[in-house]
Amino acid sequence: MLSPDEAADRIEAIAARQDRAAFADLFRHYAPRVKAFLMRGGTDAETAQEVAQEALILVWRKAASFDRSRASAATWIFAIARNKRIDLARRAGRPAIETEDWLTVFAPEVEDADKSVLAGQTYSRVKELLGGLSTDQLVVIKKAFFEDKTHAAIAEELGLPLGTVKSRIRLALGRLRDALEKEQS
Amino acid sequence: MSRHTAPDELLLDYATGALAPGPALALSLHVALDARARRIIERLEAMGGALLDDEAAPADEAALRHTLALLDTIPVERPVAPPIARPGFEWVPRPLLRHLGSEMNWRRVLGGFDEIRLHLPGDRHRVSLLRLAPGRGLPVHRHEGEEYTVVLQGGYTDATGNYAVGDFAIGPGPEEHEPIADAGEPCIALIVLEQPIVLTGPFGRWLNPLVKRDLI
Repeated sequence: MLSPDEAADRIEAIAARQDRAAFADLFRHYAPRVKAFLMRGGTDAETAQEVAQEALILVWRKAASFDRSRASAATWIFAIARNKRIDLARRAGRPAIETEDWLTVFAPEVEDADKSVLAGQTYSRVKELLGGLSTDQLVVIKKAFFEDKTHAAIAEELGLPLGTVKSRIRLALGRLRDALEKEQS
Repeated sequence: MSRHTAPDELLLDYATGALAPGPALALSLHVALDARARRIIERLEAMGGALLDDEAAPADEAALRHTLALLDTIPVERPVAPPIARPGFEWVPRPLLRHLGSEMNWRRVLGGFDEIRLHLPGDRHRVSLLRLAPGRGLPVHRHEGEEYTVVLQGGYTDATGNYAVGDFAIGPGPEEHEPIADAGEPCIALIVLEQPIVLTGPFGRWLNPLVKRDLI
């Protein structure tokens, strides 16, 4: 297992000295996870394997753009894998998305006044709070992330009114917001 | 500080990568300009990271060896300096820059407003930048499909409120609306439309056939 801090150290080691051992640690931890994540959404094993490898190669290429004060390693790698998946869906004659564009978290237009909260803290709390969501909320959140479906498509698939799905999403995010903002204020 | 943030469910659609390129561009500009939207996206992406980390799967040593061999020819890249906006386009947020080719420029449309049409490959939305002189209004119109608006310069007011830089608006649906640009700088906004608008004013009605045929 790789803790969030250890994973961030590995990415910084790649940026500092093209550290292949650090890359191997990240690959062992994250490549199978990216693959499993994509397969949950219905991607076939071969494609999922390919996307996982491309995502980890991007981790190597873009390691110098990683900023641990903005995002945890898991968050950063999720964003890379997500965008690889978007590229894949649009592959037919489409230009790839610029990495710098899609890592919105890492390139805010205006510097946020309050950067007192460390990304690692947000990540750890979000991870804990995810376990505290209701089953109804988790079903919608997981479908959204794993299956890459809009909330409207999820409502249709589950046979639920659009308003019900919206309110589950808002309640789930509201719980995260309340918990994080109470601690951070 | 912006006062109109996109709803949670739309930010979720954006964070998971489920949106078509047009709406995704609108959300990316909103997130670039609105600190509150950015905070929500940070949390959603952290959620994605947590779900990713929760997966359990054995390491694949063969795939690792194969990938390590590839790295011999792949350098670790220096961070790229953000591209610079050309003169007159300083208001362009970073995610929009690469969609604005150097040959693209304002085109005068009816009613005293200007437009730049953006063509996003593989997207069926009508994606435009609109520029409205201070105090000028768009013709009264209504929408039959979804409409997303992000203000990039200046501001406008309609029956639903006042919108400033970074604000996000979802089309008011079938009701008519008549946005008026605020005093000061011209109002520039990105508009993403699922269907052409329907002009409903006494003069606008005659223009609908042109709108439908995409002539204006």
